[in-house]
Amino acid sequence: MAEENRVTPRMSSKEILRFLHNTPGFFITNNERDVSQSDFNSRVMPQTTLRAAPYRDEAGYFAFEISGGASIHVDLLRKQINPFEKLRQVRKAMPNTLLQTVCRGRNLFGYRPYPDNVIRMTIRLFSKYIDVWRIYDFMNYTPNLKVVVEEVQKAGKLLMPCICFNTGRGHTDAYYVGKVEEIIALTGEDIILSIKNHSGIGSPMRIAQLVRSIKDRFPDLLIAYHGHNTDGNDTARMTSAALEGAKILEASDHGYGGFYSQAPVLSIIQILHDYGHKFPGFKFQAAVETSDILRRDLRLYERHASPYRGFDPTVKRHKLTGGAASSAFEQAEKHGLLERIHEVFSDLMQVNKELGNIWSVTPGSQILWTTAMSNVQHGRYEQPSDDLKRLLLGRYGPFPFYEPPGWIYEKVLEHHRKDGKKWQQILVEEGGVQQISDEDIDARRREFEMEMRRPVSEEELCLYLQFPRDALGYFRFEEQFGKTWMLPPEVWYRQGGFKDGERITFSDGDGKTHHIDFVSTRRTEDAVHISMLVDYHFQTYTTELKQGE
Amino acid sequence: MFKKLLVANRGEIAVRIIRSAQELGIKTVAVYEETDKTAIHIMKADEAICIGSGPRRDYLNIDRIINAALASGAEAVHPGYGFLAENSDFCRKCTEAGLVFVGPPPQVILDMGSKVIARRVMEEAGIPVIPGSGVLPPGEEGKQQAVRFAEKYDYPIMIKAVAGGGGRGIRAAQNEQQLLRELDMARSEARMAFGNDEVYLEKAVIKPQHVEVQILADQHGNIIHLGTRNCSIQRRHQKMVEIAPASLPSLVSDSICRTAVDASKAANYVNAGTVEFLMDDEHRFYFLEVNTRIQVEHTVTEMITGIDIVREQIRIAAGEELSFKQEDIQFRGSAIELRITAEDPKNNFMASPGVVEIYLSPGGHGVRLDGAIYQGYEIPRYYDSMLVKLTVCGFNWKETVDRLRRTLDGFVIEGLKTTIPFYKQIVVDKDFIEQRFDTSYIETHPHLLQYHEEKSDVERIARLLAEINAYGYNPYADQGQ
Repeated sequence: MAEENRVTPRMSSKEILRFLHNTPGFFITNNERDVSQSDFNSRVMPQTTLRAAPYRDEAGYFAFEISGGASIHVDLLRKQINPFEKLRQVRKAMPNTLLQTVCRGRNLFGYRPYPDNVIRMTIRLFSKYIDVWRIYDFMNYTPNLKVVVEEVQKAGKLLMPCICFNTGRGHTDAYYVGKVEEIIALTGEDIILSIKNHSGIGSPMRIAQLVRSIKDRFPDLLIAYHGHNTDGNDTARMTSAALEGAKILEASDHGYGGFYSQAPVLSIIQILHDYGHKFPGFKFQAAVETSDILRRDLRLYERHASPYRGFDPTVKRHKLTGGAASSAFEQAEKHGLLERIHEVFSDLMQVNKELGNIWSVTPGSQILWTTAMSNVQHGRYEQPSDDLKRLLLGRYGPFPFYEPPGWIYEKVLEHHRKDGKKWQQILVEEGGVQQISDEDIDARRREFEMEMRRPVSEEELCLYLQFPRDALGYFRFEEQFGKTWMLPPEVWYRQGGFKDGERITFSDGDGKTHHIDFVSTRRTEDAVHISMLVDYHFQTYTTELKQGE
Repeated sequence: MFKKLLVANRGEIAVRIIRSAQELGIKTVAVYEETDKTAIHIMKADEAICIGSGPRRDYLNIDRIINAALASGAEAVHPGYGFLAENSDFCRKCTEAGLVFVGPPPQVILDMGSKVIARRVMEEAGIPVIPGSGVLPPGEEGKQQAVRFAEKYDYPIMIKAVAGGGGRGIRAAQNEQQLLRELDMARSEARMAFGNDEVYLEKAVIKPQHVEVQILADQHGNIIHLGTRNCSIQRRHQKMVEIAPASLPSLVSDSICRTAVDASKAANYVNAGTVEFLMDDEHRFYFLEVNTRIQVEHTVTEMITGIDIVREQIRIAAGEELSFKQEDIQFRGSAIELRITAEDPKNNFMASPGVVEIYLSPGGHGVRLDGAIYQGYEIPRYYDSMLVKLTVCGFNWKETVDRLRRTLDGFVIEGLKTTIPFYKQIVVDKDFIEQRFDTSYIETHPHLLQYHEEKSDVERIARLLAEINAYGYNPYADQGQ
């Protein structure tokens, strides 16, 4: 049953949908996952989330997206946190708010398709914590959503399938309404349809037209709008979408001051208030306080922000997805291309057109971006990636509007072939949606347990099946250093070390406060000896320095 | 009594000797090597003399030490343990230089230093000895004799270096093939370690207890014992935990103490010494050796008798009679001593020199520390790794173990690896608590090494903070970048 005019995790999916249908006004989803990914290279740490959690929980959002996308991989690789553990902590800290994830369909939280049994296991395990599954296929190829849809429905969770949005040739209302029909045929009408405007493109008028077209065909369909504010226009697009009938809008906390992620929550609320609309259950002051908290941490993430800050109206042309912005710039920097970024963007525009004007969203966005970078560095399509080959082979799904020109197929598919086969033959013999046989999960479990030298849990295995090397690295880290997610971000990202006499204070998952005091630091040629008071008990740690450190 | 005493040693035993001497009103002279110039014994003595650049060789240089003693006006020299303590030449040269050597006469040191002579002396006096061979001749003949000895007494057989001691130069053979192989290795090892490749054989006593008796003998023919010690907990024949008394049935205890006194008499013993025995599970005991010096573990005996053994050593050397008779000696409660060393138990007890960053020592009722370290002291890598000897005593065994556990829990030595975590495992081990141990205890309790230095999540997190501090950034946040 509805409590205090808002949805809660204690309601069933049907109750939530009924509540949305019957309650006038709009709802907001707070998408921290996307803010972290788009603007801070996925580096926002759990303690920042937990500091803001009581205020966000109080605010009365429809949902809080804190999982999925690149976050699972980055949690393991760069933040050294178990994504399940993070969800447990957030669930505990936000007991009244639905938790949302974004899942890349068959590609789950990764970059390539997974076997069906791995997909089913992953969704079953994440559904213990996730209430809303925002799912998409980057080629808008609906069959790719089938297994995910089945499992989310089996788990009794709220299904939010997306249509990925783009502009230009082929991207008509008729096409997108047709896609919605396909989705509803697969899922039934007990869903919330999400318009996934991942690049933040299209005018407010274009979005209004799209929402109107869908509502004309499916008047009772609940629609959510997910956009990015890359060009600074997403508040306007959200307004148009809402006025045409979208029920849920995805936004960010203004305290983050993001550019490539969502527009601020309070901005859209203020606009729609002026139009006389309400946001049932929403508490304005709690959102203000959330941002007050977040602003304190903002400086900690600055060095992970994109080197190019500010709105970019040219996104309309290059269409780089907001979620890939900070990592794309990071990659460009790594390849020494930051100075030539305008060339990469120029090539990206060309690549978009050449490769069928598909959707620049993961994993498509990575394929398009790395192709553009490679083109600038090595010549056009001279060093194609394996993922680009897979795209051309139709492994991810067919090109919906037109196929790339023959010379690209030739360059890419015949690249480094030793059998002398021509691209047409390759396409016939090897093309089509990739069929993957089920994983031998028991064998992988044994292999993982041998690596860890201990029994592993289902959740651990699930992460290992998706990211074998990085999951292994994470669990070994955890074995050595424990649950470091407890550390405040100012400690995790500390530059320059700590001073003797400095105290680090943090709370564990049970709310118990711990203190670590730095007592003395002694450096020798090849090691650093550090004595500390750990919860008032002395400990000395020796760090052997690697050569050159 | 002497007016001035030179202590020809370093570390905790030098400090120990200085304390007793000062209580007797004797001025003390410390010696040190340049590489040991921050050692604490230098600061505790009334004066100190540098005897060379070191390391180790000057503490072994008889002439330099005698010169230092003469130059300082010392009348006596106390050798402590290790270094020159059982070197009969040193003893003799001290005497020749007009210095009093605080220890037995040179001939006793010489005789007892030879395992074979010591065995013969004891056999002649009717002291039970482990069946053993004489010195084996070199080459094939020696091997043949070894095989015949093994056939007579059966395996396992111990191969021992004649000049060995302190647990070094001992090997075990389970069969003929191993015996012949180990014989060659034992000779080679003995040649390198002691400059003498002579070896002999002994019948091995299975899972024996190491029991020893503290002796005091003055120059007036008075010899008494100060009871037993159990030093069975050893690692590779090096004692780790020492206990007094050995908790034997009174008849056995009386018998072994009486035997030790007889053995000392047979050896014409003077000053403090220790007669060591191996005891099997039926309380049969066999003479092992006589240590002609103060021993590391003398503190446990002092704790249960109240007698200052070093004080008595000095008094005996000065020609005084023992301060007490056998019947004056009373034994109260029990005591345990641990050698806390700068070693990493998890890394095969490898030496772990470093700086003592934090030193918070325990105290309270029944706790004694004989230490050689202080906060900020850098443990030199040239010398033994002893940091501090911890001795506790209690009214009974249980109280002593409880006290030891409490004391270890409160003992903080930070900046280097120590054996404290390993001892913490021992004091909670059921077999130890129930006094079920023999010389195989460490080998048969490998789980004692399975401790986590960082037990709690917070301790593990602290390790990460240490790494962030060491590198100046978090290497795990920027992995792969």
